[in-house]
Amino acid sequence: MAAILLQAADWLFVIDNMGLLLGGTVVTIALTVASILLGFVVGFPAGAIEVYGSDRARRVVEQIGVVLRGTPLLVIIMILYFGLSISSSAFVTATIALGLRSAAYQSQIFRGALQSVDDGQLEAARAVAMSRFEAIRHVVVPQALRRSVPGFQNEFTIVLKDTSIAIVIGIGELLTTGQNLYEGGQSTAALEIFLAVSLVYFVLTFATNRSLDRLSDYYAVPEGTT
Amino acid sequence: MSTAESTTSPNPGLWDRIGTVFTVRPLTVGLALFWVWVLARWTTDFVLAGVSGFDRGTPFIPAAPFLTTADAVASLATPLGAAGAPLVWVADTLRFTADATAYLPALAHGIWTTILLTVFSVCLGFTLALPLSVVRVYGGRWARWLALSYTELIRGTPLLAQLFVLYFATSLTQVLRGVPGVGVGFVPAQAFWVAVISFTLNSAAYQSEYLRASLESVDGGQLTAARAIGLSKLEGIRYVVVPQGLRLALPSWTNELVYLIKYSSLASFITVQELYGRTSTIANETYQYTELFVLVAILYLALVVSASALMDRVESHAATAGVGHTRQ
Amino acid sequence: MTQPLLSIDDLHKSYGSEEVLEGVGLEMDQGDVTVLIGPSGSGKSTLLRCVNRLTEINSGRIALDGQDVTGAETDVNELRKQVGMVFQDFNLFAHLTALENVTLGPKKVLGMDAADAEAAGRNHLEQVGLLEQADSYPAELSGGQKQRVGIARALAMDPELLLFDEPTSALDPELVGEVVEVMRDLADEGITMLVVSHEMDFARSAASDIVFLDDGEIVEHGPPEQLFQNPTADRTEQFLSRLHAHEETA
Ligand SMILES: Nc1ncnc2c1ncn2[C@@H]1O[C@H](COP(=O)(O)OP(=O)(O)O)[C@@H](O)[C@H]1O
Ligand SMILES: [Mg+2]
Repeated sequence: MAAILLQAADWLFVIDNMGLLLGGTVVTIALTVASILLGFVVGFPAGAIEVYGSDRARRVVEQIGVVLRGTPLLVIIMILYFGLSISSSAFVTATIALGLRSAAYQSQIFRGALQSVDDGQLEAARAVAMSRFEAIRHVVVPQALRRSVPGFQNEFTIVLKDTSIAIVIGIGELLTTGQNLYEGGQSTAALEIFLAVSLVYFVLTFATNRSLDRLSDYYAVPEGTT
Repeated sequence: MSTAESTTSPNPGLWDRIGTVFTVRPLTVGLALFWVWVLARWTTDFVLAGVSGFDRGTPFIPAAPFLTTADAVASLATPLGAAGAPLVWVADTLRFTADATAYLPALAHGIWTTILLTVFSVCLGFTLALPLSVVRVYGGRWARWLALSYTELIRGTPLLAQLFVLYFATSLTQVLRGVPGVGVGFVPAQAFWVAVISFTLNSAAYQSEYLRASLESVDGGQLTAARAIGLSKLEGIRYVVVPQGLRLALPSWTNELVYLIKYSSLASFITVQELYGRTSTIANETYQYTELFVLVAILYLALVVSASALMDRVESHAATAGVGHTRQ
Repeated sequence: MTQPLLSIDDLHKSYGSEEVLEGVGLEMDQGDVTVLIGPSGSGKSTLLRCVNRLTEINSGRIALDGQDVTGAETDVNELRKQVGMVFQDFNLFAHLTALENVTLGPKKVLGMDAADAEAAGRNHLEQVGLLEQADSYPAELSGGQKQRVGIARALAMDPELLLFDEPTSALDPELVGEVVEVMRDLADEGITMLVVSHEMDFARSAASDIVFLDDGEIVEHGPPEQLFQNPTADRTEQFLSRLHAHEETA
C-alpha cells in the first residue's frame, strides 16, 4: 500500500490535472446547490401540506413522497433522462431528479419540525387576532425552520454525495472527471485519482457541515419553555 | 377521553368495511403476489432446473394473450384518430406487458442478487459497527479518535467513489478472483464480493453512528449498577448496556435496509447484474427505457415496503416494556 | 339604559356526547372584574374560549358591545382584536424577544408601523414592570416574567375585554405575587377582565363579581363578600371549604 501511495509520477499526473478536477468540483457544487434549492421550493410546501392540508391533498403528497423515497436515485434519473426525456440537458435532468428526491426527504424534515411546534403557539397567535395563515407564517414557520437545521444539514450532505450518481448520464461533475482521467489518461494513477476525488468530497461535506453549524448558531434563539 | 371513543361506533359501518377492502388490501395483495412470483421464480430456476432439467427462465405468463388484446384495442383506436390516444396508450402498455413476460425471469434473478447484496452488507456491517460504536463510547482517547476518523471519512465521501476506489484502484478484484470457489456454481463472481466489501465498510460507519447514539442514550446508572454487582466494565457493556442499546437502535435498521436496497443499485457500475443492472442491460438492448425503469421502480418499491413491514414486525416483537420504541 | 359590555345567554357547548356547558348566562359591564371559580373540569376554560371563539359554541348567544359574537358572518379576527387572552402556560412566541412578542400583533394585525409599535410595546412592558427585559427571549425569563409579558402582549392590542385562564397556576408560589399585582393594577385602571383564578387574594381585593361554575352550570353569582362569607348553595360552600383547606396546606 505504502509503495503504491508513494508513486510520485501518478501524484504528479493528478496535480497536472488539477484544473480539470477543479472544474468537476464546480459542477458538483452547482448541481448540489441547484438541487437543494429545488428540493426546498418543492419540499417545504409539501411538508406544510402534510401538516395543514386537506385529507386528500395530504394523501396525494404522502404517496408521491413514498414513491420518490422508495426508488433508487439511479432509476429516477434514468426515467427522467432516457424515458421521459424531460430535458436534453443532462445537468437540468440531474437537478430535477436530485431536487425532486430531495424534496421528498425535505418534506419529512419540515413536517416533523412543524409538528414539533407546540399547539399553544398557534393558539396564542390566533388569540392576538392573526388569521390561521398569518399565525403559521409568522409564529410556527420561523420556529420550525430553526428546528429543521440538523435534518437539513444531513440532507445537504446526502445530496452533495449523491451528485456522483449523475455520472450515469455523463455530467462533468467531480467523479465523472476522475473516471475520465483514469480511463482516458493514466490508468496506473487510479488510486491517486479516486483518493484525490474522495478527498475533495470530504472537504466539501466537512465545510458544508461547519458552515451550516455557524449559520444555525447565528440564528439560534434560546430554547426552553415558553 | 370517553368522548372520543363514543363518537366512533364499535361496529364499523358498511363504508368503513369497503374502505378497508379497497384501500389497505391492494397493497397487501400486490405484495403477496410479488413474493409468490419471486419465490416461484427462484424455486424453478435455482432448484427445479438443476434437479429435473427444467428450462431456466421460461416465462410463467404467456405473451400471446397480451399481444392479441393489444391488437384488438389498437384496431379500435385507429378510426377514432386523436381521440383514440388513451386506447393507443393501453395498447402500447399491453405490448410492453407482452415483452415484459420475457424480461421478468431475469429481473427475478436481479432481485435475488440485490437481496444478497443488502443482507450480506447489513449483517457484515453490523459485526464491524458494534465494536466501532463501543470504542466510540467507551474507548480510550486514541481508539476513539481512530473510530471517529473512520466513520467521518466514510460518511463524508460518496458510496460510488468508495466503490470505484476498491474496484478500479486496488488489486482486490484479482485477489478475489484467485479465491477458490468464487464465481463457481451458486457463488457469485468477484465483482459481487467487491460490492459486498464496499457496502459493508460503508454500512458499518452508518450503523456505528446509530449504535453510538443508542448506547449513549442508555442511562449511565445502568453500567454503574452492573459494576456494583461485580461485573467487569466490558461485561457490563456486553450484558447490560448493549442489549438495551440494540433495542433502541432497531428503528434505524429499517433505514439502513431501505438505504442498502436502493444504493445496492450502484453495484451495476462495477458490472454486478443486480436488479438495476439487469434492467439497464435489457433497456440498452430494447430501448424501452420508460417502461422498464417504471417497472423496476415498482419492484424496488415492493422490496422497500416489504423491508419496512418486516422491520415493523421485528420491532413490535422485540419491544420490551419501557425499553426502546413503544408503539402507539 | 346602557347595554352590558359582554352578555352571555343560555350558552351550550358539548364535546361529542358530553355536555360541558349546560346553559350558562353571564353579564359584564365596562370596568367589571369577574372572577370565575370552580372545580377542575367544570368548564371554566371552555367558557372563556367561547368568548374569543377559540372554541365554537353549540347554541346560545354571546354578544360583545351588543354585537353578536358567534354568528357565522362575524369576523373572528375582528372579534379577537377586541378580546385579549392570557394563557395558563404563557404560550409566548418562543422565537421572539419580549418586545417582539408584544409588537407582533400590532404590526401584523393592526398594521402599525414598526417604530410606533415598539414605542407602544415599551410602554406596555413598562406597565408590567419588564422594560429591562425587552430584549430577552422567553427561555431567558422566569415564569412570572413570562406571564407578565403575556399580559403585555394582550394589552398591546388595546382590547375592550381581557380573558385570563388560570394565569398563575403554572407558577412557583413565590412568583404568583408579581403577576397578581400587575392584574390588580389593571383592575384599578378600569380594564374589564374575566378571570379564571383561585387566587383568593386577588378575588377578594379586585373582583367586582365572583361566579361559581360547577358541572357546566353557574351555581352561584355575587359580589365577593357575599359569596365568600354567606354562600347560598351547599356546593359552593363545599368547594370553598376545600379551597381554604388547600390554601392553608400550601
Ligand atoms: N378539546 C376538547 N375535546 C374534548 N373534550 C374537551 C376538550 N376541551 C375540554 N374538554 C372537556 O370539557 C370539560 C371541561 O373542560 P375545561 O373547560 O377545560 O374545564 P376547566 O377549565 O374548568 O378545568 C372537561 O371534561 C374536559 O375534559
Ligand atoms: Mg382550565
